[in-house]
Formats: sequence, structure tokens, C-alpha cells
Amino acid sequence: MDGSETVRKIIHIDMDAFYASVEQRDNPDLRGKPVAVGGSRQRGVVAAASYEARQFGVRSAMSSQLALRKCPDLIFVKPRFDTYKAVSLQIRGIFAQYTDLIEPLSLDEAYLDVTSNFKNLPSATRIAEEIRAAVREQTGLTASAGVSYNKFLAKLASDYRKPDGLYVIKPSQGPAFVEKLEVGQFHGIGRVTAEKMNRMGIFTGLDLRGQSEEDLRRHFGKAGSFYYHIARAVDNRPVTPDRIRKSIGSENTFDHDLTEPAELAEALQPLIESVWRIGGRYQVIGRTVTLKVKYADFEQITRSRTAFSPVTQAEVFERISHDLLTALLPVPKGVRLLGVTLSNLEPIDESPGHQLVLPF
Amino acid sequence: MKFIVSSSVLLKQLSAINGVVATNPIVPILENFLFKVDSDREGGPILTATASDLQTTMITNIAVESSESGSIAIPARLLLDTLRGLPEQPITFHVDTETFGTQILTDNGRYKLSGENPIDFPKIPSVNRSLAVELSSDSLLSAINNTVFATSTDDLRPAMTGVYLQLTSANATFVATDGHRLIRYRRLDINSPSDSTMIVPRKALTLLKASLPEGVPVKAEFSQSNASFTFGNTQMICRLIDERFPDYENAIPVNNPNVMTIGRTDILNSLKRIMIYANRTTHQIRLSLESNSLTISAEDLDYSNEAKEKLLCDYDGDNMEIGFNAKFLTEMLGNLSCKMLSFELSAPNRAGLIIPADKEENEEILMLVMPVMLNTYA
Repeated sequence: MDGSETVRKIIHIDMDAFYASVEQRDNPDLRGKPVAVGGSRQRGVVAAASYEARQFGVRSAMSSQLALRKCPDLIFVKPRFDTYKAVSLQIRGIFAQYTDLIEPLSLDEAYLDVTSNFKNLPSATRIAEEIRAAVREQTGLTASAGVSYNKFLAKLASDYRKPDGLYVIKPSQGPAFVEKLEVGQFHGIGRVTAEKMNRMGIFTGLDLRGQSEEDLRRHFGKAGSFYYHIARAVDNRPVTPDRIRKSIGSENTFDHDLTEPAELAEALQPLIESVWRIGGRYQVIGRTVTLKVKYADFEQITRSRTAFSPVTQAEVFERISHDLLTALLPVPKGVRLLGVTLSNLEPIDESPGHQLVLPF
Repeated sequence: MKFIVSSSVLLKQLSAINGVVATNPIVPILENFLFKVDSDREGGPILTATASDLQTTMITNIAVESSESGSIAIPARLLLDTLRGLPEQPITFHVDTETFGTQILTDNGRYKLSGENPIDFPKIPSVNRSLAVELSSDSLLSAINNTVFATSTDDLRPAMTGVYLQLTSANATFVATDGHRLIRYRRLDINSPSDSTMIVPRKALTLLKASLPEGVPVKAEFSQSNASFTFGNTQMICRLIDERFPDYENAIPVNNPNVMTIGRTDILNSLKRIMIYANRTTHQIRLSLESNSLTISAEDLDYSNEAKEKLLCDYDGDNMEIGFNAKFLTEMLGNLSCKMLSFELSAPNRAGLIIPADKEENEEILMLVMPVMLNTYA
């Protein structure tokens, strides 16, 4: 760390098996049993798994069928997002008593910068303990917390003693902590990148630190610099409240693989409508439309088009999406999943009650 | 210096130019009228009274009896208050050009005012190498009345704080906008020897409106930086706004397939009633259009007030709902004098046009107003 700057105090709070825990809290019959939130249908996916289910190897994002094979007694519960959202708000209310530098990553996860905090508490660890206690008391759920001097380490720390744990990585321990990690455990290094690193002989944080920034940039582009720094436990990304949405997407895995152009077009339509509706809710318009196609053999491709100016009309958005699909026809193999994403977003100031202005 | 003048004529003429005098001017001398007497003028002695705020200057000429020429700056407020209280009579001004002390003698009184050195009064700009246009005060008044209310008060957009004037050999177009609405008012009976455009400040036009009599000829002159309007014994000179006016023509939507024609007073009166129930800050009302019926409604969710009226109209277009600020609409409709008017619309988030259906001779009016978004997302 640069000695001239004050060392930041970042907390990463992560609710334990959030959706599944909410379900177990609200339905005593589910307690102590393997529970998966998600669809049990033929091609459903596990959105969250209780710790009991995790013992059988059930993980989130796993196909429901595989999950059932791993844990035949698995109980599937339909997600209740409104409830999760309400609990999430409750938790954010607790965070807000300490700082307004809160960066939610999802309903169940957030970074807090408590370097200076409303209660003038000198210890971030104490704050993390208070928050965990308040969450338990007010929601009946458990949260894990990681405390450190940057976001990267705080997130690693919250994972370290999960569930219902707290772990602190002090500035003196940061580099050593990273050293031992396998690259696949780094947040921001996915499976594919990890494999590529392994092929290059990079297995641990220590190996990663041995690489020059130039080499990493050459192999991994812009992300290379990020890897170079996190290998040294350096991460200067600030905690940014109200993270702006970067894209809006909607995708669907179909009950059976689709091949017919008419079927595909029909399947695309609800995704287009859903994205447009979400855009309306967030009052944003975008310039880039991306179509994602996953084939039956799990090969995945994306095609995108960026308009000269933001797409303001539903028909234009619809047309671009269908054009992207048409360009891929006829499909070489069955299509398992279609997704539409709108990105390069900007706000539309057309919220209710807003007086529109002339375009000059 | 000494001169004699009718109290009521003086009051009338000074009142016509008094609007320029600011209550708290940048330079204190501007709290005065500049009086200048020319006793040697052909056609008899004359008093030239000038008021200015540096941007705008108004000058008026009044016939007096005098054998001496000279100048004095005289406190505007004090003098006008005095004149307002006097019955009609000839009054005599005695000015000591050394001390600038001034005495007004009436039938049975004597009033002493301390004037100021006329040298300190700012020089009046002259409108040189100008373009001259003759027009009637009625056309000018009508143009001002139809546009000036829609100018902006936002000093960050100085171009929009005035009325844009486009002169051609065929007509004169007056345009005003505050960014939410726009008025394009065209006079076919005003034409110019050469094409020219300028932005006349709102204050100058408001003053003109207050002092311009009906049915008199007006001579308008424009130079690069100033405009002058002369009518009767009075002249107004103002500095033009040296800014680029927004490209307004491109903001006027061309394709508006949904057209409603309705009686102006019908919709105006309905709007005034419904508006009472609208949110006090947004003044948002909703127009719901279906075949030959218009429903105007408003609700203020904070107080759970709501109102709704259904009017007959002639409507050709898709069923649609569009929100507007009722204050804008009533102001715009109230400024029109036509019996019937048309609303031309395309979409709830696109500008609406208001166009009189029965046209007055020599004028063309187009009003544009931006909608307020309703709480439905299309």
C-alpha cells in the first residue's frame, strides 16, 4: 500500500445460502434438509442450494437433473424473489447505519467502506461483528463477513470462514494470503482463464506474482494488469454506491432444443419484451444489442450490434434482435438457450411526471 | 434653464418610458430621467426625456414653452409621484444648471428636487447602417402578445430569453421558446427589404407592449447590435441578444397522424377546472383520446384528489393518452383568439402541436408543447 494514503477498511458481507436459508426460515419443514431453490423441471437450474444440499455436491447454477442425481432427496422450492428482495432491503438498512458507501453486488452480497463510519468505530472487525449480529437478530439468517483493506481481499476473506463466519486479512497478511491461493480461487479469474494460466505454469498466487505485467497484459489483455496487481494483493477499486447497471439481459433455456427458424423467432420474442420491460423499469435505453446462443453441445456464441444512437423504440430493438438471429440461420445444431442483452446503457429522463424538453 | 409644460402631458409621456427605470440600477444616475430642452428647434421648443437601464433606452419628445436650452437628470420616482398628484395645469420647471437644483412651480405650490449632472447619464446608442421596416403597432402588438410569454427566464440559455425575429421579403416570423414549448408566430403583412435575423430581449418587448398604442405606424430599425422602434413621439432602443438561436425548425415534428379538433374555449375552460385537481408542482393532466371524445383528467396522489371531464371533439387517429403541464396549455390556449383549434400528436413522448383552425388574416400561428411523461411505460 502507498504509505501516504490511509489504509482503507472494507467489509464484504455475504449472506449464507441466501435464497435457500430464507425458504428454510419461512418453512420449518425444510429445515435440516437438502433444499434447492429453482425449477425441478427437466431442464431447470439450481438458483441456490442449502448447506445440507451442498454436502451432496449440489451447487448453484447446476442443472436440476444433475442435482437430483447427486442428491435424490433434494427438495425443490420455487423462488420467491419478492421475499428475497424484502430481506435484502432489511439488510441494507442495517448497513446504512454504519456507512453510505455501500456497493450491493446482488441481493445477498455487498461491499461496505467503513474507513470512516457513522458510529466512529475504529475497528472494522467490530462493525462486521455488529452487522452479523444485527442481521441474525432482525432476519433470523446468518451472514459471513470478510474484512480487509481492499475489495478483492475482503471478498476472499468472507469466503474463508463460510458459513456464519468472520475473517480478517490484515495489510501485513495480504500478500501471503494471496500467495497460497490457487489461481482458480481468485475472484475475477474464471475457469477458462485459470486453465490457460495452468497451461502457462501458473498455479498459485505466488506463480502469478512471478509474471511481469507486460506478459500478463499480452496474454490476458486489460485484465492482465488487474491480475498483476491482485497477485500483489493490491486492488484500488473504490466501493461505489449505486452501482450503475451496465446491461440488461434476459435468457431462457428451452425444454427441448430448437432448430426451426420460426420456433427460434418465437422463442426470442418474450426475451426481447422482457429486456425492454426491465429497461422501462430502470429508465434506461441502450445502444448495443447482443444475442447469445447456446447450442445443444453447449457451444456458446454471441453476436452483437451497436446502433449509432440509443435505441429508443421497442420496434427498433426488436428488429435488431431478430436480425442478429436471422444472420445465424439456418442453425448448424439444436439451440438449447437464447439470450438477449442490451448494453451501453444511458438513462432516459422520461420518468413519470417528467416534463420533456425540446431537443436543443 | 426654465420651461413650462402641461402636467398631464408630461405625466402621460413619462409614464410611457418609466418602465425602463430599474428600481436598483447598476449606476445610480439611471434612477433619473434625462431631460434635454431644445428651445431653438424648428416647430417649437421641445423637451426630450430619456430613461435607460443600459440594455434598453426609451426616449419621448414633449412640446414645451421655453427660451433656454439645457439638460438635467431628474429623479424619476419623485417626479412621477409629484405629477400623479397634480390636477391638470401648466407647470414651470426652474433648473439651476450649476447646482442641478430643480424647482417645480404649480398654481399654488413649489417643489424642490435635487437633480444630477446630465453629463453622467449614459450615452444613448445610435442604430447606424440599419435595416428599416415599417409596420403597424397592431401587428407588432399581436406578435409580442403571442410570443413573449413563452420566452425563457433561464439566464444560462440567453438566446432563449428573447424573441427570435426572422425577416424576409415575404413575411416576418417571431419565435419564442423556453425549452418546453415553442411558439412560431408569422405575420404576412410585415416584410423587409432584405433578409435578416435577430433576437430581441424579452424586457424590451414587454416594455413595448406596455407603451405601444393601438393603430399607429411603427418604424423598426435594426443594426448589427441594436434595434429601435419609433412610434408617435416615442422611441425605444434596445441591445440585441448576441447569441445563436436554437435550430427550432428541426424541433417541430412533421408527421403527426393523430389530429383532434375542438372548440378553444371548451377545452380551455375544462382544463382550468381539471387543473385545480392536478399536482401543484407538476400541473400534470392527462388527455385520453378516442374516436370523437377527449377525456381530460388529473389526480394528485398526495391528497387523493382527482377530476375527470369528457368532451366531444373531432378526433382522427389512434387511441392515445398523453400528459401535459396544464399551466402551459392554459397559457397557450388563452393567448389564442380562434374559435376552433387542432392538436396534432404523434406519440406520448413527442411534441404536440396546437394550431388554430380558423385563421386570422395575415397571421400564422404554430404552438408546440412537450408532454409530461405519464406513469405508464410503452
